[in-house]
Amino acid sequence: MRRYMYMFIAFLSLASVAMAADSQIWGEMRIQNILGYGQEESLKLGPLFTMLQHQYFAWIFLGVLIGVPGAFFIHYKIIGPKVFPHSEKKYYAFNLYNRIIHQVAAVSFLVIIPTGFIIVFGDFFGGGTLVRMAKNLHGIFTIPFTIVVIPMALMWVKEAIFNWDDVKWLMIVGGYLSKEKKPILAGKFNCGQKMWYWVAILGGITMILSGAFMFFLDFKMQMLHDLTGMSQIDLLRAAAIIHNVMGFAVLALFITHVYMSMFAIKGAVHSIITGYVEEEEVKILHSTWYKKLKDQGKF
Amino acid sequence: MSRMKFYCDDHRCIECFACSVACAEAHELPTGISRRKVITLFDGIEGKEVSTSIACMHCTDAPCEQVCPVDCFYIREDGIVLHDKNKCIGCGYCLYACPFGAPQFPRDGAFGAKGAMDKCTMCAGGPLETNSEKERHLYGQNRIAEGKVPMCAAVCSTNALLVGDAESVSNIYRKRVAGRGKGV
Ligand code: SF4
Ligand code: SF4
Repeated sequence: MRRYMYMFIAFLSLASVAMAADSQIWGEMRIQNILGYGQEESLKLGPLFTMLQHQYFAWIFLGVLIGVPGAFFIHYKIIGPKVFPHSEKKYYAFNLYNRIIHQVAAVSFLVIIPTGFIIVFGDFFGGGTLVRMAKNLHGIFTIPFTIVVIPMALMWVKEAIFNWDDVKWLMIVGGYLSKEKKPILAGKFNCGQKMWYWVAILGGITMILSGAFMFFLDFKMQMLHDLTGMSQIDLLRAAAIIHNVMGFAVLALFITHVYMSMFAIKGAVHSIITGYVEEEEVKILHSTWYKKLKDQGKF
Repeated sequence: MSRMKFYCDDHRCIECFACSVACAEAHELPTGISRRKVITLFDGIEGKEVSTSIACMHCTDAPCEQVCPVDCFYIREDGIVLHDKNKCIGCGYCLYACPFGAPQFPRDGAFGAKGAMDKCTMCAGGPLETNSEKERHLYGQNRIAEGKVPMCAAVCSTNALLVGDAESVSNIYRKRVAGRGKGV
């Protein structure tokens, strides 16, 4: 509870400094910002952001949006889904708390990601009300995600730490390149899920912070300026670059996560709705975990 | 066609704020928005103090235009950089790209959300019908369409603020520099 209170207070104080009238962008620092723009000794973040945003960001997003599902489409056609019987024994792996936290995050992502796209391709959508609404929803749905990201990080961190199983998993790409149902070494989470965990948690937090910078614009955080030696406008430029680059990773892994749970492993999505996982599925795809559960007499 | 440019001669600027105030008044800008701003460096240090007036510089190859995700900028043939407030989503990208910190954002949404970007139009209005009620409301006066000089330059008592096609501006400045023998 206390954690939420702190978060709320931090949010309010950020919001109030955002209203502060004069900032380094338009005030005293303005000349230094102008002189520093693109100079040798500066970080050149202005020209860098302009170049990236002008020539690359939208294309890379488009590439990820088409490329990743494209690769999975081929995978689905050639190798096809893994289907496990859904009438066998089940194990109750995700309690109500796990599921609610995950579902809140899921719903947030389902709004944040498409609206992000509408912003990136704003000219395609003609700008104006639709894109503005998308931008606002993009920000609003960050709030539920912000609330669940820490609890989600904590509830799964133990399972998300990498180990030897993951090296072996990586070498056979999780067994997804063959139709065979051979037991694959993995704990409760396999290497792919772990990668998504870290990108979603650390990447998600990075997205929240860089997004907040851009939203609040004039926030004053002396500590941050002292620490980085960056002016307000350069912090904003850095935030915009980071937000986009991190966006590529989050997007790519999000699509993967959705594909795996909905298509590649038929019906896997149910586990986070009902909390139950299928015995067959665990036995094959998470053999290390299966052994442990078996020893404990859970199956 | 020649390109319109601003130039502020910092040897002449006396930090009277007339340009800034006149601009805000002429275009009925909301408080907190100053399209043109006077900035003084080394305040009070004799021989070093210098003031200048900054607004949008209407850049050639304007960076703001390059980064806008909704493509709402358009550059007139005379080089004046304008944008469409009805398209703008207030993302702030133009500000990050701009070397001069020109784009500003009114806080008119809930929770401090940014409104449509606002910047100097060189008194040339926007994409709406020239001198219509709507254009005036969103972008301020369209003095260029009336054949008038932008407000800031019109009120500059020392003629520090120059505006016009790039060539005549630099001609005037060159003459001044030659006259006082310094100042480049
Ligand atoms: S807003 Fe900035 S980048 Fe755009 S034309 Fe004006 S000064 Fe140049
Ligand atoms: S704030 Fe408006 S004008 Fe500026 S880049 Fe964003 S949409 Fe374009």
